[in-house]
Amino acid sequence: MTTSFYDSDQARRPLISEFQNIWDHRGLVRLLVGRDLTLRYKRSVLGVWWTFLNPLLTTAVLWIVFGQFFRFEIPGAPYIVYLLSGILLMTYFSQATLASGSAIVNNAGILSKVYVPAEVFSFAAATAAAANFTISLGVLLIIQVATGVGIPWTVVLTPIPILAMLAFTAGLGLLIASAAVRFFDVIDFSAVLIQLASYLAPTFYPIEIVPDRFLPLIYSNPLYSYLVVFRGFVYEGVIPPTWNLLYMAGSAVIALALGVWVFSRSWKSMVVVL
Amino acid sequence: MIDAAIEVHEASLAYRLSHSGAGTAKEYVVQLMKRQVRYEKLWAVKDVSFQVGDGEVLGVIGANGAGKSTLMKMLARVLPPTEGRVAVRGRVAPMIELGAGFNPELTGFENIVMYGTLLGRNPQFMRGQAPAIADWANLSGFLDVPIRSYSTGMLARLGFSVATDTEPDVLIVDEVLSVGDAAFQIRSFERIEKMIAQGTSVVLVSHDLAKIRQIADRVIWLDHGKVVSEGDPETVVGQYEASVT
Repeated sequence: MTTSFYDSDQARRPLISEFQNIWDHRGLVRLLVGRDLTLRYKRSVLGVWWTFLNPLLTTAVLWIVFGQFFRFEIPGAPYIVYLLSGILLMTYFSQATLASGSAIVNNAGILSKVYVPAEVFSFAAATAAAANFTISLGVLLIIQVATGVGIPWTVVLTPIPILAMLAFTAGLGLLIASAAVRFFDVIDFSAVLIQLASYLAPTFYPIEIVPDRFLPLIYSNPLYSYLVVFRGFVYEGVIPPTWNLLYMAGSAVIALALGVWVFSRSWKSMVVVL
Repeated sequence: MIDAAIEVHEASLAYRLSHSGAGTAKEYVVQLMKRQVRYEKLWAVKDVSFQVGDGEVLGVIGANGAGKSTLMKMLARVLPPTEGRVAVRGRVAPMIELGAGFNPELTGFENIVMYGTLLGRNPQFMRGQAPAIADWANLSGFLDVPIRSYSTGMLARLGFSVATDTEPDVLIVDEVLSVGDAAFQIRSFERIEKMIAQGTSVVLVSHDLAKIRQIADRVIWLDHGKVVSEGDPETVVGQYEASVT
């Protein structure tokens, strides 16, 4: 046991304190992620399939509507691979952001009884979603092999967009959490915004059908860059354009810093209403 | 650093009460436009100062709503003081409401590890301690069972056993000594007395005035968030009793 010392006068150093807290509680983060996966996979009747059911059903329906009715064509890849990769990434984005955003409210019972830095719960929730996404990549890789696309060497680089997305969603999650402690409807509101943001990225339609005057709108959406980078690595086997890589990394760093900063400033007034 | 184990200096804590009671962002925006947003500060603890030395037992008494539990949460670092300073030296075992974070779907073993980790211990260390913790709570045969099948008494014993498993430097006890049956109450009280004998500082909140007289070295009486009286147990408990009757 280490000797600890608590002094309420000790100023919180924004950003540094939060990352220090998460590092100091990495054992707890691992436990929370493990608990999330255990409860999800081992103890539910449908187990793993339950988690994949939503993205797979969505993919199946969208494939019928857009692949068969509208006959979307993607240059260089079967539509199903393009579609599933997009849906999985957007499911990860949505799950991670919402789980991270509601983690603090959901654990209010713990946070009002024992001292644990609240950001640990948000971070653990986003990490659990990242772990889920990584597991679900297995399905995508199987489909790639089955459709003859194969698995390029660049697949070893997919941890880059996965980690960038983790930082991005943890940051957005902390922003949402800061507001959700006071107003519970913020979570529902965020869910709608998340869905709208994913429509403004080429998740299920080819970027080629977007009229020129709307392209800036799509390009400015960070999710577009995540999709380009992820698809480039996971099945196209190409290194994506530098600006997409930079935009992805930049949005991750900015979202994380902003989320942590806002959270850090509002925590003291939030904790009394938990 | 500080000299005493606990030092509280003019500490206050305010809860913010919204008059309009806006619980959703939608209502809040509507009220903001009508300029109806007003907040009132409710001081649950106001300008409280005291120190607790090494191995000292401080009793805290007062009516319901006097701010005792809020003060304990401030010592446990759960609530940061709105004003003033709270400093605690050493490892704190907060026994405020036992079993924070118990998950009914997880087994006794998994819950021991999770609860201990939430209290700031190492998960690996907790895995090693789990058998001894379960043994002390008379739950050895139930470690692999999800705790949704535990009785209330079993849960209380498990929570107490985890919370008091490692020697803390500072123990904060908020009315949790009344859990379990008579035999367990005696055993849990003995465990706390042993810690006191070994130099743990204790802050004890209780409505059991006889118990406060018995083990406290010093007592503070809180009322409406303020210290009414502070001193030796006989005097302060006497004053409190006189005020109630």
